[in-house]
Amino acid sequence: MTWVGWRLQRTETLIAVGILALLAALLVPTGLNMSHAYSSDHLGACLDFQRSPDCAGQVGAFRDRFQSLLDLANWFTLVPGVLGVLLAAPFVFDLEHGTYRLVWTQGITRGRWLAGKLGVALVAVVVAAGALTLLFTWWRTPESRLDGRLSNGVFDSTGVVVFGYTLFAFALALAIGAIWRRAASSVTVAFVAYFAARVFVEYKIRNSLLTPLHATWKGIKQPPFINNAIVISQRVFVHGHEVARDGGFFGGSAKVAVPSSPATQATVHFTYLPASDFWPLQLAEWGLFTGAAVLLFGFAVWWTRKRIA
Amino acid sequence: MSGAPAISTAGLGKRYGAKWALHDCTLEIPRGSVTALVGPNGAGKTTLLQLVIGLIQPSAGQVAVLGGAPSTKDVLPRIGFVAQDHPLYRNLTIAETFRLGRKLNERWDEAFARTRIARLGLGERQRVGKLSGGQQAQIALTLALAKRPELLVLDEPVASLDPLARREFLNAVLEAVAESEMTVVLSSHIVAELERVCDHLITLTAGRTQLAGSIAEIVASHRVLLGPRSDAGSVARMHDVIRESHTDRQTTLLVRADGHVYDSCWEQHEADLEEIVLAYLGYNPGASASRSAAVAS
Repeated sequence: MTWVGWRLQRTETLIAVGILALLAALLVPTGLNMSHAYSSDHLGACLDFQRSPDCAGQVGAFRDRFQSLLDLANWFTLVPGVLGVLLAAPFVFDLEHGTYRLVWTQGITRGRWLAGKLGVALVAVVVAAGALTLLFTWWRTPESRLDGRLSNGVFDSTGVVVFGYTLFAFALALAIGAIWRRAASSVTVAFVAYFAARVFVEYKIRNSLLTPLHATWKGIKQPPFINNAIVISQRVFVHGHEVARDGGFFGGSAKVAVPSSPATQATVHFTYLPASDFWPLQLAEWGLFTGAAVLLFGFAVWWTRKRIA
Repeated sequence: MSGAPAISTAGLGKRYGAKWALHDCTLEIPRGSVTALVGPNGAGKTTLLQLVIGLIQPSAGQVAVLGGAPSTKDVLPRIGFVAQDHPLYRNLTIAETFRLGRKLNERWDEAFARTRIARLGLGERQRVGKLSGGQQAQIALTLALAKRPELLVLDEPVASLDPLARREFLNAVLEAVAESEMTVVLSSHIVAELERVCDHLITLTAGRTQLAGSIAEIVASHRVLLGPRSDAGSVARMHDVIRESHTDRQTTLLVRADGHVYDSCWEQHEADLEEIVLAYLGYNPGASASRSAAVAS
């Protein structure tokens, strides 16, 4: 069954390997460049948020050089979706081409067939996700040291969430394909739905996954605790009256928009996820997507076993 | 187990939504027989066969195959199945297709598969998708036969083939039957050629079976009656009139009669199988004779 599963998955797996190789061809040279620039410019010494003016120049130079590349790389957050739906395609092809009638009438039961076929695909999905997250985590190391790991660009492409995303796209394509039985359409719709789910979670769910911290800060200097943190809300009070309200991610260079006058009387209430929440937040989002993937996967298997003939 | 019939169904039915694709089907197919399942398109042939091999589950009634429940791991290895349009993995080579068969079956006769391919003049490295329809059907049949099934189920195996490929395919089935004790069930909407291959026959129309039994008995128990134009009423009191047709002067009846029809008004002939089958496919026991007469004439 392993050979059969692999053989029927081979083309898609090789395409996935090709995509990863292409990505590596782009990321490895630029990543080497970046980490070289990072160490040769001694940016490691500038990590403290209270930077010297020298540091500002060095960090600025690094940004000027690499920011467009880093922005471009944010698009690669779509890659887990591409790989996930791609590796689900052979399962749907079986239903589309009627070959499930061939394999389900050989000597093994439908359950064993599904276990073998989806097992091989699942291994490919996990390995692909692992390769992606390793590649991106390495590539974004200088950026994550400078800006922290909670920025969307870094958070989405490093750590364990990539496994969740890839599995989710895979299971979504399986579930849609089990019902629709058209590989190209199912895979396309699954990818679009994956993208929508990612955007929704990123902008509507992520900030509420963990219980945020609250803090009050007086003055115009940027408080140390919001460095590299996700600020969910920031309310500025002057003499007890709220004068401003804001939120967002505060990377190394971001400044709080505190009114400059009468600055000394300003009190700011922060609601935020600190930089140290990276792993809890990663686990929470991984759990969200993986949980959804498990449900979709279970549905696809159930539907296929019970409803398809 | 070996005493159990190859297939037995009791009140078997399958419903899709409100429509019964197969309704109250009770039949028994003996071991060692070669049975044709005949009916027009949409009559429920595929449904019946898919219930038998366990691709779908019944909505009503029971089905037992080789003494067991379909699609269990006891029964599956003993059934060979070629689905309609003989689906195969088009991007696999013939050798890989056989490897798939070997991996997915406990019993697999590699020598048989290789010999058949050599005799068909095919190379093992050829891609299945590049073969002709007839060759693909032969590969699908080889895959089903190489697992040395006790029951071979073929769903419309020749419908999509040209006459030559059709003949070659049926010859291959006959050959396989000759050298084993295999039971064969094949569905078809084409009656011609079936008599050469099959010894049993079941007709299925609109989800119901009408005729089921050995072809010899079926032929023996039907008569064509020819006589001057008249009402079939007197014959219908004694025998089932399956079909009647009238010309200006003459009435022709197809009747089911075990033995001789003792009625001197009628000239009697043997009925041939195709005639009988076609009559049954248009036969509706509930309808009045005048309606079927109108259709027939």
